[in-house]
Amino acid sequence: MAEKIKKMKKKKGVEQLKSRYGRLFVLPWEIGLVLFFIVPLVTSIIYSFSNVILGNGGVTTEWVGLRWYDFIINSDPKYLDQVKDAVANFLVQLPIIVALSLILAIILNQKFAGRMMARAIFFLPVIIATGVILELLTSEYIDVSLVTSSAESSGAGNYGSSMIDFDAILGNLGLPEDITKIIGDYIGSIFNLLWNCGIQIVLFIAGLQTIPDQLYEVSKVEGASKWEEFWYITIPMLGNSILLVMVYTMIDIFTQKTGVMKSAFELMDEKLVYDRSSAMLWFYFIIVAAIMSLVLAIYHRFCLKKWN
Amino acid sequence: MKITKNKLTSRAAKEAAFKFVTGIIRWAFLLSISYILLYPMIYMISSAFRDAQDFVDPTVVWVPKNFSVNNFVIAFKALDYLKTFWNTFRMEIISAFIEIVMCSITAYGLARFDFKEKKLLMGMLIVTILVPTQMIMLPLMVNMHYLDIFGILGFIGEKIGTELRPNLLNTAWAFYVPSIFAVGLKAGLFTYMYVQFFKGLPKELEEAASIDGAGPVKTFLTIVVPSSGTIFLTVTIFSIIWHWNDVYLSGLFLSRDYPLSVQLSRIFTILNSGIDGVKYGSYSRSTVGIVMAACLLVILPMLIMYCILQKQFIKSIDRVGIVG
Repeated sequence: MAEKIKKMKKKKGVEQLKSRYGRLFVLPWEIGLVLFFIVPLVTSIIYSFSNVILGNGGVTTEWVGLRWYDFIINSDPKYLDQVKDAVANFLVQLPIIVALSLILAIILNQKFAGRMMARAIFFLPVIIATGVILELLTSEYIDVSLVTSSAESSGAGNYGSSMIDFDAILGNLGLPEDITKIIGDYIGSIFNLLWNCGIQIVLFIAGLQTIPDQLYEVSKVEGASKWEEFWYITIPMLGNSILLVMVYTMIDIFTQKTGVMKSAFELMDEKLVYDRSSAMLWFYFIIVAAIMSLVLAIYHRFCLKKWN
Repeated sequence: MKITKNKLTSRAAKEAAFKFVTGIIRWAFLLSISYILLYPMIYMISSAFRDAQDFVDPTVVWVPKNFSVNNFVIAFKALDYLKTFWNTFRMEIISAFIEIVMCSITAYGLARFDFKEKKLLMGMLIVTILVPTQMIMLPLMVNMHYLDIFGILGFIGEKIGTELRPNLLNTAWAFYVPSIFAVGLKAGLFTYMYVQFFKGLPKELEEAASIDGAGPVKTFLTIVVPSSGTIFLTVTIFSIIWHWNDVYLSGLFLSRDYPLSVQLSRIFTILNSGIDGVKYGSYSRSTVGIVMAACLLVILPMLIMYCILQKQFIKSIDRVGIVG
């Protein structure tokens, strides 16, 4: 009995020691989190409930309650439409980006001649699309043939659809106009969304590499088809990678410089209005957070749990 | 006997045909996508090497008639390349490396140890990824101007009558300090990537090390880091590229000594105000060539880095066998 208690005590001591080490590892980040994230974040929430006046001596705030929220919802003609557009955009883009980058990652992960070349090319969007360069390329001063008129629909390059005229091809099929338009939008957006796939492809390739070859060998012996291999080995084993890619993609889509984000930043950067723009961003982010947690909860409940 | 042999050869032929067809489909698919992805690159190269008169010549489509490197010479001067390159290295690349190290340490703490507030911290990590820097821009700038730890320095400074809070704006420390605390540019995402990877590592190795008497720090350095080559390389590439391309934070914290990306975003202004007494006009056709040459000059180091690391990258990915 006494021995048992001693053992338990010892175990508890080890666990305490372990948790202490864990806190030690996390400590620098905790300090930074408070200093450079939580404090500024709370300040920005306060801004959204106040009048912000920029003076020489710094920033002064004056509490006005929900006035700015009331203003953007009831008086701003564009705001709610922009939020709706962002949500609709998200529902279209998320599945396309995840599926497209998964397919491309699987292809690029196979062994074939010239795969190094192909991988190098597919990484280009990461270098170009994250910088000013894409902004310069798609700016109105540079060659117009690079950009089509639908420049509003996506943050990234839009020139893809100008190279091949899909609308004309679809128009000749004689389908109802609504359907043609939806299909056309999807195809057009695939071209644009290729630009947002670079990082996801790399993440998926890294994930694919961690699947042990033995699993595929066993399934081959068992006589599984490639299709079954894909659904019963590749996808479940990629569970965590898909989660990572989904989180990254959702954030990427919601923080694209279009719609709400664009108008809020214009208010901040050009007119130095911080109170109303803070309210705009906060309302938007509450909605975004709700949608994201819903998607992640569904994924967790119906996919991850089933696969484990 | 004869029948089975026939069957076998026909199956082999079927398989070969299948391989051939999928090979062709794959190539067609990849080629068409490569074209889309390479288009802006080709466009940039094509216009950067053009002479001014080639831009008004309708017969010039891709290959310039009057090949010239003049655009690069002007772009080099407009970017003040050597100086801005050094600025980028001094501020962005060093803080990228600090971030790579600090994020991995944080992530190991979150992935392998259990303590009460861990769930809350993981939630906060997701929030840091989600919130774009722009949302906390103004408070962050004030923070950088009067850096303080929970008001202590300000309090003491007020008592003795001097300003103790350092102003980090316009110094490289505005980039180093957040990186040291693992909250720099995209740090949340890097930490999250590390956490996911560390969780996938087999625990047995670390347990064996701890039975042999190695402490957590030693285990981390001698067991975890050497077997995490893939994720370190992935994060390194991303971190360097994002820091290199960052316009927003460096535009916010600096009002002089810009890094390359910010200088590139000001290129129209610079060309319009003139170099060596010549104004290039902001929107004329021939300035496109100069701007494209400037773009190429800015991404060139990244392309070179990627070409070097790419081989390492694939090799290290292929070598990781223990994960899973």
